[in-house]
Amino acid sequence: MRSARAIIIRVGERLLSSLPALLGVLVVTFVLMRVLPGDPAVFFASGPNAGQAEIDNLRQRMGLDQPLFVQLMHYLRDVGTGNLGNSLTTGQPVLTDLRQRLPASLELTFTAFTLAVIIAIPLGIAAAMRPNSLIDHGVRFVCTLGVCVPTFVSGLILIFVFYYILGVAPDPTGRLDIFVSAPPSVTSFMLVDFLIAGDLEGWMAAAKQLILPSATMALFVIAPLARITRASMLGVLSSDFVRTARAVGLSSVKINIVYALRNAMLPVLTIAGIMFSTMLGANVLVEKVFSWPGVGSYALDALLSSDYAPVQGFVLLMACIFVIINLVIDVLYGIADPRISVA
Amino acid sequence: MAARNGFLKPIVVAMGVLALAPAAQAQTRAETLRQLTGNNINTLDPSMPGATREAFGVSTSTYDRLVAFDRKLENGVWVFDRTKIRGELAESYQVSADGLTITFKLRDAKWHDGSPVTADDVKWSLDRAVSAKSLSAGQLGTGSLTKPEQFKVVDAKTFEVSLPKPDRLALANLATPLAPIINSKLAKKHATAEDAWAQEWMKTNTAGSGAYVIESFKPGEQIILRRNENWTGGREGRLPYFKRIIEQTIPEAATRANLIEKGDADIAIDLQAGDLPALQSRGKVKVDSTPQSNGFTMIAFNTRMPPFDNIKVRQAVAAALPYEAMFSAAIFKRGLPMFGASWSEVPNGTFPQPMPVKTDLEKAKRLLAEAGHGNGLKTTFTINVGSAAITEPMAVLMKEALAKVGIDMEIQKLPDAQMSTAVAEKKLAFFTEGSSAWLPTTDYFFRTFFSGEQRWNYSSWNNSTIADLTTQARYELDPEKYEEMSKRMIEEYLKELPLIMLWQANQDAVMTPKLDGYTYWFHRQVDFRDLARR
Repeated sequence: MRSARAIIIRVGERLLSSLPALLGVLVVTFVLMRVLPGDPAVFFASGPNAGQAEIDNLRQRMGLDQPLFVQLMHYLRDVGTGNLGNSLTTGQPVLTDLRQRLPASLELTFTAFTLAVIIAIPLGIAAAMRPNSLIDHGVRFVCTLGVCVPTFVSGLILIFVFYYILGVAPDPTGRLDIFVSAPPSVTSFMLVDFLIAGDLEGWMAAAKQLILPSATMALFVIAPLARITRASMLGVLSSDFVRTARAVGLSSVKINIVYALRNAMLPVLTIAGIMFSTMLGANVLVEKVFSWPGVGSYALDALLSSDYAPVQGFVLLMACIFVIINLVIDVLYGIADPRISVA
Repeated sequence: MAARNGFLKPIVVAMGVLALAPAAQAQTRAETLRQLTGNNINTLDPSMPGATREAFGVSTSTYDRLVAFDRKLENGVWVFDRTKIRGELAESYQVSADGLTITFKLRDAKWHDGSPVTADDVKWSLDRAVSAKSLSAGQLGTGSLTKPEQFKVVDAKTFEVSLPKPDRLALANLATPLAPIINSKLAKKHATAEDAWAQEWMKTNTAGSGAYVIESFKPGEQIILRRNENWTGGREGRLPYFKRIIEQTIPEAATRANLIEKGDADIAIDLQAGDLPALQSRGKVKVDSTPQSNGFTMIAFNTRMPPFDNIKVRQAVAAALPYEAMFSAAIFKRGLPMFGASWSEVPNGTFPQPMPVKTDLEKAKRLLAEAGHGNGLKTTFTINVGSAAITEPMAVLMKEALAKVGIDMEIQKLPDAQMSTAVAEKKLAFFTEGSSAWLPTTDYFFRTFFSGEQRWNYSSWNNSTIADLTTQARYELDPEKYEEMSKRMIEEYLKELPLIMLWQANQDAVMTPKLDGYTYWFHRQVDFRDLARR
């Protein structure tokens, strides 16, 4: 009981101490967006007489006619009251956009990540158990291939084979087949919402949509995960305590799984945490290829048209997620290695 | 037997359901049109600053306008006919002899909520168009529609527009997506003190009388429309064929092409030009190609910036360009060339039309020497990242060709927003762009692209003859005199060459073979009301 309370207090402290970092991220993105050449007012003023008057009008409407410092203060005040501004690209409040799109990204990333972990960790362990064997070389080959092929290429190939030629995959157009009606939105996670609605057919449709994009994403992260698992396992397997365990005649399952794997998991956890946050934000290519309505492609579209508010909102969101994931990883650290505490 | 029956019953029912389900789905699929696009629909109010072209396209189906352009068959494909204007929400219209008054008789139409359309609504809508801070004011201004006082309600079904001068484009402007007629009673309910014209509410809601009603709208993802069964504004009052429309954003062009080839989607108008020959040769799709008769791709010189402030340098570049090679490398000859004509006297007043510019390296060298650049010169040519698939091969060919006459050309690539900023601020010396005009009359083209300080005057050209001619031609009701003025404008353009027209790229509409009725519109979007499945 006492330790649970201690964890909660420490988590709270960690979250509080991350606030200055978040503020820094906010200010830097804000300034960066405005330093970049490209004026959203000009880009979006597209009438046949798009003269200075029209551009000035838009600029005034977006508050861009104010000095930078005043703009920043307004923005901070808005963010403080939970308003992230409006997107010109979608014409909606940024908060609404992110709230709709983040679950899509999370759902895809979770699936891909789980898939990658399920495949990569056994592969890494197998390779480490028999270094330089055929299995090891096989794993190395698969990993090299996975890293070498860019995600948009593997995505397009998967679409071409499974959708266009074989016709087994549904059309690669977002989270749900356009002719299947969406479940009432409760959590905004399609798979969960379909289960809540008790619509198994719909659940299958949503799951089918997920297979190709998550496989594409997983292919790319299997390699680093499997490699780091292998390296870390190798290190642990040659360490003193494993040798001792072998010497006292413990069963190989107990040695490998209970002693070696648990100790080898620390670096894997670190990498996995970083991978997860990267996958969430940086998988623009997969999102684009599969028309997945996620946050990555949203931010890219906004960036290309110099649409400030969505980019700032996206970066802030990613920073928050990064803080949370790091925290989760640290907690998991504690479980893997009791010597490490959350602080 | 009884027991058996009981056992089989659920299976029989299940089989029945299984047999019925695909049939029901197939039927709705046949009555549904699914369009794919690479862009976003970001608003339901076409007049919102920043509205995308796709948003204009959707608004043509959700709103009616007073009038609409007719269409005609050209080389087997329907294209809009700007010379014929028919009533849409108006049953008929009449232009007075002096061209100063246009009277509209409204048809007995209903709003989507069932209440009748009145002249008061029309007045409110047009007042909004010219008063609210939106895209509409700028567009309607090109037809001398600028003040609410010009719009008068005569009676519940009669409406009058008066003009300060007989502007040739007043009526045509009322047929553009920026003159939608709005259900004023509904919109006013959502107006606030700061937002007197309900602009905020109309971004995500419609108050129209158009052929389709919004069923669901997810900006940046998809829009679903349902047919308005009470619509009477169509040609001969016919209802559109499709009961349901889905327009979906699919960013990847290859995926769009795949879906149409498989028959899972019906139409796309923004596939990559390079993919089309292969698509056509496989023969699973129908391609309706039309040169974008109201658009152009061009190379602009900044006429206020050295060295291009010198006419001879501009002419030299025009004589050095490898037109044919650029045409095939950039757009695979899918378009109408605007170069290589052989006339010496302007044959007619149409613009854009093919111009007598051709590759002649000797002439280019001579002109450069005359301009005092006999030892060559250095310049930077700017292209847009978004259009790099087309403009990059073009730029590389230009660099090679210009090197032959001693011009050292550097290629600069800018992201879209940066490029438009630099163009609007008139900071680029030499660049390429494509653009189009909704109302392609010669004086409109010259007014928009060759005069004034607005962003579309790409070459920052300032010519007093053109300024005079455009102001006169705008109000010239005599077609012969208008034609004469148009020819003089073209002559002046050719003399000074502020920019080089290259071609009108095709609008390639790729669709499933059974789709019929596709029409090329001035707003370069699919009008769902035209389409049918054979």
